[in-house]
Amino acid sequence: MPKTDVSQLSRRSFLKLGAATASALAVGQFIAPPVARAARQAHLLDSNGSGYISTMCEMCVWRCGVRAKVVEEKVVKLEGNPDHPHSKGKLCARGQSGLMTTYDPDRVLTPLIRVGKRGEGKFRQASWDEALDLVAEQMLSIKSKYGPEAMVFSSTHNLSQPLFENLLYGFGSPNYGTQRSLCFNAMIVANSITYGMEEPARDYSQVKYIILTGRNLTEAISTSETSDLIDSISGGAKVVYIDPRFTKTASKATEWLPIRPGTDLAFHLAMINVIIAEKLYDAAFVDKYTLGFDQVASLTMSTTPEWAATLTGIEAGTIRRIAEEFGAAGKYALAHNGWRTSNFINSFPTERAISILNAVVGNWGTTMFPSSGEGAGVLGSPPQPAYPRISAQRLDGVPWMYPFVPLKIGVFQQLRDSIVAGTPYEPHGWFISRQNPVQSLPDRQKTLEAFQKMDLIVTMDILVNDTDWFSDVVLPEASYLERYDPLVPMGNQVYIRQPVIEPQGEAKSALWVYKELGTRLGLADFFQYKDEVDYINQQLAPTGIPLETLRLHGNATLPTSTGSDIYEWSTPSGKVELFSSLLEKAKFDPVPIWTDPPQPKAGEFYLLTGKVGQHTQFGTQNNQLLHKYQDVPRLWMAPEAAKSLGLSDWDTVQVTSPVGTVQVALQVTDAMRTDCVYLTPGFGHLSMALRTAYGVGASDSVLHVTYTDPISGGQALSQTFVSVKKA
Amino acid sequence: MATKNHYAFVIDVARCIDCRACLVACSVENNVPMDHTRIWVYDQGLQGTWPDLSRAFVPYNCMHCDNPPCTEVCVSGATYKDATSGLVLVDQEACIGCGYCVAACPYGARYIDQSRGVVDKCTACVQRLEVGLQPACVATCVGKSRLFGDLNDPTSEASLALKNAMSVTRLDYEGNGMDADPNIFYLNLPDTSSIKASDTFGQVPQSTLPRPSQYTLSEAGWKKVAIPLVAVAMGATFLAQAIFFTKQLIEGEKDFED
Ligand code: SF4
Ligand code: SF4
Ligand code: SF4
Repeated sequence: MPKTDVSQLSRRSFLKLGAATASALAVGQFIAPPVARAARQAHLLDSNGSGYISTMCEMCVWRCGVRAKVVEEKVVKLEGNPDHPHSKGKLCARGQSGLMTTYDPDRVLTPLIRVGKRGEGKFRQASWDEALDLVAEQMLSIKSKYGPEAMVFSSTHNLSQPLFENLLYGFGSPNYGTQRSLCFNAMIVANSITYGMEEPARDYSQVKYIILTGRNLTEAISTSETSDLIDSISGGAKVVYIDPRFTKTASKATEWLPIRPGTDLAFHLAMINVIIAEKLYDAAFVDKYTLGFDQVASLTMSTTPEWAATLTGIEAGTIRRIAEEFGAAGKYALAHNGWRTSNFINSFPTERAISILNAVVGNWGTTMFPSSGEGAGVLGSPPQPAYPRISAQRLDGVPWMYPFVPLKIGVFQQLRDSIVAGTPYEPHGWFISRQNPVQSLPDRQKTLEAFQKMDLIVTMDILVNDTDWFSDVVLPEASYLERYDPLVPMGNQVYIRQPVIEPQGEAKSALWVYKELGTRLGLADFFQYKDEVDYINQQLAPTGIPLETLRLHGNATLPTSTGSDIYEWSTPSGKVELFSSLLEKAKFDPVPIWTDPPQPKAGEFYLLTGKVGQHTQFGTQNNQLLHKYQDVPRLWMAPEAAKSLGLSDWDTVQVTSPVGTVQVALQVTDAMRTDCVYLTPGFGHLSMALRTAYGVGASDSVLHVTYTDPISGGQALSQTFVSVKKA
Repeated sequence: MATKNHYAFVIDVARCIDCRACLVACSVENNVPMDHTRIWVYDQGLQGTWPDLSRAFVPYNCMHCDNPPCTEVCVSGATYKDATSGLVLVDQEACIGCGYCVAACPYGARYIDQSRGVVDKCTACVQRLEVGLQPACVATCVGKSRLFGDLNDPTSEASLALKNAMSVTRLDYEGNGMDADPNIFYLNLPDTSSIKASDTFGQVPQSTLPRPSQYTLSEAGWKKVAIPLVAVAMGATFLAQAIFFTKQLIEGEKDFED
C-alpha cells in the first residue's frame, strides 16, 4: 500500500506550489470527470449529461434547497431552489462555494490507517474491507473487555443521525456526544420549558419591532431568515441590536446597544418590569394562555431600568423607551431568542426571560408560531428491533447531573471531562462521525488529553480535519453532492438530498458506512435496507409519493396531517409556562432570577466569539473559494485598550487565558467595547492535511475555559477572560 | 450611444450585508481564477464615534459605462460596447492582452488573466441572460441588494426600482475630458463626505479579499446625479442632468440617454 505522509507538506511548500498552480486555478479547472450516473438513470439529465438536479445544501445546518447545474456530467454551478422555503432561490457564500468543498484537492478519498504516532499525521491507504474489519474487531474487543459503554460515539446534527443512533444504541453504549451543548442548549431547553417546543418559528412578514440579542443574523446566516430580516428593515421595521460588538447586523439596525457581556438577563428583566408596570402586556393572551404571570410580576417588581442600567451599561431611559416601544408594537414585536445568547453561565435564565417577554406581548400567531419540527411524521422507516437495555451511566452527566438536558442533546464538554477524569468509568474507544471536537470543545489541550487515553479513535469525514489528524482509522465519506441521505420532512413538504455526481475515489455515503459497520458488529437488524435508494423508498412507502417525482423536483407535498391547534403547547399545563413547576420541582428558580456573572480582573478582557458570513464554524476554512473571499482572521480590540497596552493594528499579539495561549494579528477597531476582545472564529487549524486552512488565524478552543450551565448544560462560551500582550 | 436594450444594475446599499455570496457565485459561474475577482464589495469602514457608529457596504463590478474609457484605448477592438445589449464586453479571441483598458478603467474593474493572456471582467453573465436567467450575483443576493434589468423596459425590476427611488446615486467619473456615465445606480448610498480622499483598497492583504489597488475614491468622486426629492446644492450641469434623468424615468422613454 502506498504511504501518504501528509505531514511532509508544510504550509510553505504548499504556498510555493499554490502560487504556481492551485491558487491560480479557477474552480472549473479542478473538476475531475465523475459521472452523474444516478441522475442520468433517473432522466434528470439530457443525452449530453447536462441539466439541473435538485438537492439540498450541507454547507451549514440550515439545508437550503439547491439546483445543481450539470454540464457534460460535471457539476459547474449551484443555484438556490426557488421552491424551497430555506433558500427561496438564493444561496449564501458558503452554499455558492459548495462545489469547491466537493472538489477540494485535500479530500480524503480512501480509508486511511494510522502508521506513525497518534497526531503525527502518518497514514497508509487501506481498502474498505480492511478498514471496517479492523474497526469492528477493535470495537468488539473493547465491548468484551470493558462493556459497550466503553465506546463513546459522537456526531454533529445531520440527516443520517437516526442510523448513527442505531449504531451506538444498538451497540449498547449510552455515550452520545452532539455539538449542541456548545451552541444553543440554553435556547432549546428554555423554549421547551416555556413553550413545550425546542424553537418556535419566527415570521417576519408582519413584524414591526425586533430585538436581536446577540443574534448576528447578517453574519450567522440562515439564508431565508437573513433575507426576511433585511426585507422587514427595508419595509420600516425597527431593529434594536444588543451585542458588545458592532457587527454587520449592528450596521443594519436602527439602534445598537453595546451591552456589558453577561448582562443580557438584566436588560430583559427590566423590559418585563416596564411592560408589566405600565400595563403594556396583552392581558387577554396572558389570562387565557399563560401560567404564572403573577409570580413573574412580583419577581420583576424590583428589576427596574434604573437597576439594570448599572449592570448593563445601558441608560435607564433607553431601556424604558425600548420597553415602551416594544410593548406598543404588541403582537407585531419579536424578541429573538438567539442561538448562543449571552454565552454566559446565566444563558438559561436569559433565554427564559426572552421567551417570557414574547409571551406577555401576545405575539404568538403573528410573529411567532409553532415550529413544524423535524420529526419523521408520516414517513416510514425500515423495521428494526428494540435497542438493548442500557444500564451504564452516561459519561456526560445526563440526566444524573443535568436533569433538564434532553438525552439526544447531551453535554459534550462534560463527556470529554469525564473521559479525562476516568470517572464514573474509563472509556476506551471513540467513534467520531463528521465532527471536529479538537476545534469545537473548549480547552483544546484537554481534548487532546482525552484522545491520548483512547485505545481506538475512528473518524468519518470528507477531509482529514483536526480530529481526523489524531485518528487511528479515517473513513472517507461522500460529500453532500455525491450521496443520498435520509429524507427530511418540513411542514407539509418532504425534501431530498440526492447525488449530483458519483462519489470521487472510494468515498461512501453514511448510510452505506453505518450499515457495513453495523453488519460487522452483529447489528444487521438495525440496518434493514439494501442500499440508499431502498432506504428512501421505505421512507416514502406510506406516503404514496414516487421517488422519481421527488428526485425531479427536489421536494414533494406530503399527505395532509390533521392541523393541530396552534394555541396548545406541550408543557405540563398545556399553557405557555412563564412560571415552571418543572424547574421548581428540580429546585431551580421557576422564574428567571438575576445573579451576578463573573467579571474579568483589571487588565483582563472578556473573550468574545461569534460567526462570519463566509464560514460555518470551523468546517469550511479549507474551501478555496471561501478562503479567497474571507477577511484575515484577527483579534479585535478597542483603540483605547490597544493604546494602553502599546499595541497597534496588525501587531502580532499573544493572547493568554487560564488554559492556553495563542498568537494572532491584532485589529484595532472602534467596533469593540474597551473591556472586550473578539477572536474571529473557526481558524487555527492543527491538521496539516488542510493545506489551505492550516496556519491561518488562531483557535478560540485553545483559550476557552469549560463552564457548564447547570440547567441547560450549555457551554458558557464568553465567560473566558484573557490578557493580551505584544508577541 | 443608444442601444436596443439598456442593461443596468440597481444596487440598494441599505440592503447589502457584505455576505459575499455574490462574489463566490461570480467566481464559480465565470470560472474566475482564484487570484482574481470580477466583483467587489467596498467596505466604507466604521463611521462616526463610539457608540454612534455606522458602516455601509457598496457592491460593485464593471459599470458597463455608457461612455466607457476602456473601449477608447483598446488597440485591437476587442473591448466594445455591444450595440444590442449596451453591455461592455471583451472579445477574448481578439484581445492581445496589452492591458491598456485595465489602466484606463477608472473603477479597476478589469484584470489580465495571465494563464490565458487576455483581459477579463464582468460580462453581466451574458450566458445566463441569453437563457433568461439573472446574472449569478443578482440571482443569489441574500440581501436582495442587487437588481438587474433593461432600463429601456419600463416594467423591468431595475426600471421600477429607479422609478420608486427617493434618491439615486452613481459613482461617476469625470477625467481626461470625459464622463464615463456608469450603469450601476445606487439606492440609499450614505453620505459619502466622510470617505477620505486618500481611502484606497491597498492595505488588504492579497491572499484575502482581492481588490484593485489602483482605484481610489478621489479619482472617481461620488456624486449625485438624480435627486428629484432631496434638495441638495449641486452644480448646474449636474442639476440639469438630474432633471433630464428624472424626466426620462417619469416618462419611461425607450431611448434613455440618447
Ligand atoms: S444558509 Fe448557506 S450554507 Fe446554510 S444551507 Fe443555506 S446556502 Fe447552505
Ligand atoms: S467600468 Fe471600467 S471596464 Fe466597465 S465599462 Fe466602465 S470603464 Fe469599461
Ligand atoms: S450577495 Fe447581496 S447582500 Fe451579499 S454581499 Fe453581495 S450584494 Fe451584498
